[in-house]
Parts: sequence; C-alpha cells; structure tokens
Amino acid sequence: MTDQGSVFADATQAKGEAIIECVGVDKFFGDFQALYDINITVGLQEVVVVIGPSGSGKSTLIRCINRLEKHDRGSIRVGEIELTDDVRNVQEIRRETGMVFQSFNLFPHLTVLDNITLAPRQVRHIAKDAAEVDAMSLLERVGIPEQARKYPGQLSGGQQQRVAIARSLAMKPKVMLFDEPTSALDPEMIKEVLDVMVELANGGMTMIVVTHEMGFARAVADRVVFMSDGRIVEVGTPEHFFTNPEEDRTKLFLSQIL
Amino acid sequence: MSDREVIEREADPVAVGRPVHIRLGARAWAKKNLFSTWYDALLTLTLGSLFVAFGWTLIRFLFTSDFAILRVNLALLMVGGFPRDQLWRPVVALILVSILLGLMAGIGSASARDTAEQTGLPYQRSSPMAVLKRFWPVLAFVVVVLMLTETLTPWLVAGAALVAGVGSFPLGRGLPAGVRRFGLVILTIIIAAVYLVLVSGGVGWDGWGGLHLNLFLTVAGLLLAFPLGLLLALGRRSTLPALRAMSVTYIEFIRGVPLITLLLMGIFVIGFFLPTGFRPGNVTRVLIAITLFESAYIAEVVRGGLQSVPGGQVEAAQALGLAPWKTMRRIVLPQALRNTIPAMVGQFISLFKDTTLVVIVGMIDILGASQSANAQGAFLAQGLHRVTLPFVALAFWVGSYVMSREARRLEHKLGVGVR
Repeated sequence: MTDQGSVFADATQAKGEAIIECVGVDKFFGDFQALYDINITVGLQEVVVVIGPSGSGKSTLIRCINRLEKHDRGSIRVGEIELTDDVRNVQEIRRETGMVFQSFNLFPHLTVLDNITLAPRQVRHIAKDAAEVDAMSLLERVGIPEQARKYPGQLSGGQQQRVAIARSLAMKPKVMLFDEPTSALDPEMIKEVLDVMVELANGGMTMIVVTHEMGFARAVADRVVFMSDGRIVEVGTPEHFFTNPEEDRTKLFLSQIL
Repeated sequence: MSDREVIEREADPVAVGRPVHIRLGARAWAKKNLFSTWYDALLTLTLGSLFVAFGWTLIRFLFTSDFAILRVNLALLMVGGFPRDQLWRPVVALILVSILLGLMAGIGSASARDTAEQTGLPYQRSSPMAVLKRFWPVLAFVVVVLMLTETLTPWLVAGAALVAGVGSFPLGRGLPAGVRRFGLVILTIIIAAVYLVLVSGGVGWDGWGGLHLNLFLTVAGLLLAFPLGLLLALGRRSTLPALRAMSVTYIEFIRGVPLITLLLMGIFVIGFFLPTGFRPGNVTRVLIAITLFESAYIAEVVRGGLQSVPGGQVEAAQALGLAPWKTMRRIVLPQALRNTIPAMVGQFISLFKDTTLVVIVGMIDILGASQSANAQGAFLAQGLHRVTLPFVALAFWVGSYVMSREARRLEHKLGVGVR
C-alpha cells in the first residue's frame, strides 16, 4: 500500500489522509524520559506495527494517543481533534479510538454481552435492543456468539481477548490501538486472536499494533516502526524492515528475536 | 467389598489408580485419633472430662433453674416498655418484615436460577431441609422464646410470620425479571415506611426497647451510615485537596473516639448544635451518634474495596470513553462493593453487639431489660443474672452466627463464574 520506504524521513509520513499525527512528543515518568521527540503520522486504513525491546516506550506511545498517559511536550492529533487537557477533547478522542490490552481488562462482573453493550449504551446512548443486536453481530465476527451470556471468567484467554476486541469495535472507532494483545495468551490461542486482527486489517480498519508477533507484522503491516529507548529508530515497510534494515540497533534486535 | 468388586477394580486400570478409602472400626479410630501417644491420651482425657463437666452443668442449669424471670419479662426483653395494649403494632410489623424477607428470598432465588440458565453454570434449588439447616439457630431461638411464653398468642404470631414469609417466597420467585430490582426497592421502601409509622404509632420510637431496639439500631444505623461512608470513601480518594482533607479529618477523628463517647455526646452535647425548639428524643440522638460512628468505619471498608479493583478496569472503561462517574458507578463500585462483603458483615455484626452500649445512656435494650428484670422486687438479689444473661447472649449469638454464615454463602455465590 505504501511506497518502498527506503528513505527514512519519508517513511514517517503516511500515505492517504492522516488520521493520527504525533509531532515532537516527549513523555516523562518523574525524571525518567520514556519518549523522545516522537514524530509519526498514521494514515486512514493503515496498519502500523510497533516493535522493539521491552521498556522501549511502545506501549507508552499508544497509551498517549488515547490519553491513558499524558504526554509532556509536542502535539497529538486524532482525526480533527487535538489532544489537550480539555476533558471533552479527551472523551471525544477516546470515543474514536478503541484499545485492546495485553491483560484483556474485561469487566468480570458483567456478562460478555453486557461488556460489549456497556459503552454504546452509556456513551453513545444507543437503545438496549439495538446495542445487543450490534453486539451479537460483532460476536459472530470474532467467532464466539454462543458465549454471549457467559461471564468473562468462564472463557479461555483467547476468547476473552476476542471479546475485548468486539467490545472496542462496538464503539465503532476510527482507530484501533492494540497493546501486545497476544502476549498474555497461551501459544495455541494466539492464532485465533491474530486471525481476528488480520480480518479487521483486511476490512480497512486503521490500526496501531504493539506486538512481538513478527509473522503478523510481516503479513499485515503497511509500515513497521522500530523503537528503542524511547526513540523511533527506524520506520519502513515490512520487506525493507525484515530484509534490509539500515540501523545497527534494528539489526541487533532482529538478530535476537528471529 | 465383595470379591467380584475387587477383581473388577483390578481389571479397570482407572479404578486401580484411585485411592482406597479405609474405614477404621470405632476402636481403631479412637486409638489412631485420640490415644496414639501418652500425651494425646492425656489431652483427650482432660478435654473430655471438661466437656462432660460442662455438659452436666448445662443440663443441670436447664432442668433446675427457675425461668420465671424470663417468662414474666419476656415482653420486656423483646420490645422493652412498649405499651402492652399496643403490641399488635410490632406484631403486624413483624409479619410485614417476614413478607419482605420471603419476597427477597424468592427474587434472589429466581435471579440465581436465571443467571445459571444463561451462563450454563450448575444451579441447584435449595431444599427446605437445606434452608432449615442454614437458619436452625434462628429457629432454635424462636422455639426457646415460645417455650417461655404463657399464652397462645405468641405461637400464633410466630406461625403467622412463618406462613407470611414462606407464602411470599413463590410470589417473589414468580416476579418477571424486568421488574425484580425495581419492585424490590419499591417494596422495601413501602414496608420500611409502614413499619416506621406503624411501630412508632403507639409510643413514638423513643419508647422502643428490648431486642427490637437492638435490631432497629443495627439495621437503621447501617442503612444510614452506608451512603455517608460511601461518600467519605470517595472523598478520601478524590483529587480535590479540600474534599480529601475533610474526609480524612472526619474519618480519623471518628475512628479515634470510642462509641460510648459519641453516644454520650449524642445525648448531652448534640442539643447545643441543634436549633432551639428541635429536641430530638433519645433514640434519634443515639441513631445519629451510631450513624456518624459507623460511617467512618464503612468509609475505610469501602476504600479497601475501591483499592482492590485493578487499575486496568478503570483504563478499559476510560479507553471506551466512559465518563469518570460512569466508570465509578458501572465498573469500579460494583466490583469494589462485592469485595467488601466480608468486612461489611463484620462491621454489621460488631454494630449489632455494640448497640448494647445504649444501656450506658439509660435505654432499655435487651441487655438493659435483663438488668431491670433483675431489679424487680420478685427477682431482686437472687443471682438471676445467670438466667437472664445467657438468654441475652443466646440472642446475640444467633444473630451474629447466622449473619456471618449467610455472608460467607453470599460471597461464595457472587464469586461463582465471575472471577
């Protein structure tokens, strides 16, 4: 979808209409600087996979995009909305971005169906019946409609993560953020979650995915972003990235994991 | 075990692996468990003789004591100085409360059944025998009280209350799912209001006494203290410094003061802070003191519950765009409050027992009634405390024991399929 991306400077620019734009983003935890001067633009319907060693700031970056963490310098824009301290802006951005967590974070006291319909009903004020019809079709899509009336605790990890994806999709977000969605799963359940994500990507969803699944990155990503020590080290297409990385840091990382 | 069975077990590879239960004979069992060493034997004999001695004392107590003091003062112990010609009021109230409890049990049973149906979890309707097993202490206490009565009326009242409770169970169970919660709230409010109007009609609630006063102060105190405690807990976690400081000050002040002090303040000091002309009676004052006291403890219990909800829950709700108060109401509080059930019941039990402190401020609760019975001419200075105090103790033990057992059940039930 994108060009070859061999020129590093060009690769931070997305093709198509930009939907997420981070300019010069810095983030501190106390004295520790977690993000250094992050510049990245994500285009509509683009799939960006963020990889890098642990502690490199991947999760922090996507958590800044929906304001689970507050960035300290620079600007973040989602759609038309600039992320500021204004609570309404934050709420609006969160409505437009779905997020899937490593540890699922399903609401254990609600059934699967209630987990999915909660936000549409409470935030978008959709009627119960309509929300449930939507939720059921989403559950069909992630392949577990028969689990609708159960509680999250009754499901396997893979099923729970698929419910979490359905829960995010129920808000009809423009962007989906995935924070290591398969890292807490048993190996045999990773595929069922990745399959859902691939289907989502093929359906044209704009996605930023933090993951260690290189197979997924290779197959689905439009661009791969490699981060290390809070900086974006290298950005490129998967072919470029996995066959011909330019930076030494990237080569070292790839040699360790592949 | 017959020979055939043995052969089958050996032929079946799964059965062979199973542990074999060995049943000891009575002699072998006693040898293994009671007399295996010389100090085991010593311990068994010592404790055994203590048990026997205690049992003998109990039996002698039951058969030789004169329970006249309880017979004569039964009404005093139950309802204090309530006018005897007005006793129909608490009786009707008791039947209403039985109806409410029956409906609650029915509704609870029906929604448990529905949840089980939905989620495919096992559900077993509890048999009447199981219910009897759960509430046997209450039943035993009622029987003790009925044995002490001199007329037939209390038997009829107990029977009517039982019929009312059991009769309304299927009504509650039959309520359609949509109106259950709403119906229960409305019914509770109606019955609570009718109860208050009805029972305070005779004497005003300042004339209340006996076990009824203890139960009333416990339930009303907790119901009033809960919302206040919830607000205090939220205030203590608030990001607004003024609100937080106020909550912390209040909680730490109240928790640093004994309940007796607050009760005495309620009786002697509150008056100065109230507008002239508004002179609440003693029960009102005591209820205010109890509410203020309990709310601080409940605040700490709730705070513990709030802290037990993982941060990821809030993040997930935020990421979905839920506003902060909706996150609190829909996600955090339901989980937090469920986690507080054990501590909350502990608080409830301890308040139930603490209500006897109102004796200090001259009120005739069940303990006060037992004291005043001993001061009556016919029973004065006969050492009859050994009859009245065990009765009072029995009443409190029944209440506390059943509450803590029910709490454990509830906790277990709420945990199923949720975690």
